[in-house]
Amino acid sequence: MPVSQSQKFEAFAALHVPGDPVILYNIWDVGSAEAVVKAGARALATGSHPVGDASGFGDAHHVPLDYVFANAKRIVEAVDPLPLTVDFEGAYSTDPGEGGQNAARLKATGAVGCNFEDQIVGGEGLHPLDLQVRRIEAIRGAVGDDFFINARTDLFIKVEQRDDALVDQVIERGKAFADAGASGFFVPRLADPGQIERIVREVPLPLNVIAFPGAPPKAEWAAAGVARISHGPFPHRALMAQLTELASAAIS
Amino acid sequence: MNLFDKEAQAVMSKFKDFARLHVAGNPLVLFNIWDAGSAQAVAKAGASAIATGSASVAMASGLGDGQELPMEFALSNAARIVGAVELPVTVDFEGAYSDDPHEGARNIVRLADTGAVGCNFEDQIVGGEGLHPIALQAQRIAAARAAVGPDFFINVRTDLFLKAKQETHDEAMLGEAIDRVLAYAEAGASGFFVPMLGNLEFLRRLCSKSPVPVNFMTYPGCPSNAEVAATGVARISHGPFPYMALMGKLEESARLAFA
Repeated sequence: MPVSQSQKFEAFAALHVPGDPVILYNIWDVGSAEAVVKAGARALATGSHPVGDASGFGDAHHVPLDYVFANAKRIVEAVDPLPLTVDFEGAYSTDPGEGGQNAARLKATGAVGCNFEDQIVGGEGLHPLDLQVRRIEAIRGAVGDDFFINARTDLFIKVEQRDDALVDQVIERGKAFADAGASGFFVPRLADPGQIERIVREVPLPLNVIAFPGAPPKAEWAAAGVARISHGPFPHRALMAQLTELASAAIS
Repeated sequence: MNLFDKEAQAVMSKFKDFARLHVAGNPLVLFNIWDAGSAQAVAKAGASAIATGSASVAMASGLGDGQELPMEFALSNAARIVGAVELPVTVDFEGAYSDDPHEGARNIVRLADTGAVGCNFEDQIVGGEGLHPIALQAQRIAAARAAVGPDFFINVRTDLFLKAKQETHDEAMLGEAIDRVLAYAEAGASGFFVPMLGNLEFLRRLCSKSPVPVNFMTYPGCPSNAEVAATGVARISHGPFPYMALMGKLEESARLAFA
């Protein structure tokens, strides 16, 4: 029996278990998705950077929306019945209503969720919290209940001093995002198990961190309460380095 | 010299650079790619030119090979690859998306408009059985040459050897391959591509008869580059194998991440 989009969403949401995180090995096209499925993936996640690098459009909303949707649709069909979540950056608009419409179009591709970030794409810094809350509310209103909005804060990317005061700000954002209708909370560059524990305690959403070369062991993050570990741009970068090596050997 | 002339000259030299890389006995090695990112990774390795593989493009995009990959995707992908690297780019264009010589020629002109300096153009009946008759294939090449101008590198591929098991490759097939390359060169082909011909003696005899540079494709278990070069081959490409090897590596690293 075919698995409906809503059932895929339920399965995907259920994979987010604090202490036993779902591992997402980020992909960029159908071929990479199929390779990761063969490796035993339980869900697929695109990374906007890899999609931008692979296609040649670049990151930061440079990949045209129509390409994002077409690529997502092809991946959804190729990995069926596994769920796909799409790194949707800033939903291609700072305007809450327009961002909501774009997220609804993304849902129409069959994807069950997206990353949605609070940095000002193509600008400086982060959106003020009240605006970001309205953007998340608008997306939730547009996509309905069965779509996993993984609300991302880029505080740890934009601020060098990753101290307790910054963690306070992260927690403030996480709580507000939860109230606005987010399904998950994503803090790239967060790595310290002590800081992770604080955030997990205070923010009522499954927490997502990015594994990076040299990151603490996944078991340590799991013990701190992480519910989702993704890999951002690193799988694509590592693979392209391997391609350079293979090509060097072939050419020489 | 005005800017337009400078740009025109840069394009001209890209064509000439690419053609000059085809040296019998000291072959151009192409490590086939499928998108802008893989093109950049291969450029970083020190490649002198970039070549797509249609099967790789199809597998990566999920759009299917055998011209199931929509031509519009093939063209836009080509344009992005050209934009991503400084090197000359040649595109595996299968059967130019038409059996009709004039429509095929128009499609090749559209491909040239992306900035690609050349293409592979095959003689198998895409989506059908067997090969186009020599006379029709020569017409298709002549139409493409007339439409695209003298500089575009049309690497005409014969699928004689690809369509038959290697142990069945015989004198008669070599004879037909030589007939084909003579007719194709006469019609305006720039190069001749013989995927899955692995018999070094046949390659040597083909190279000695071919008026245009001969392209060999590597495959698992094939003779070494040095052995192939010694037959007089001028270009060695890798077809879908870089893509397949790389996806194997991706699967491996994902498996480690999930463990």
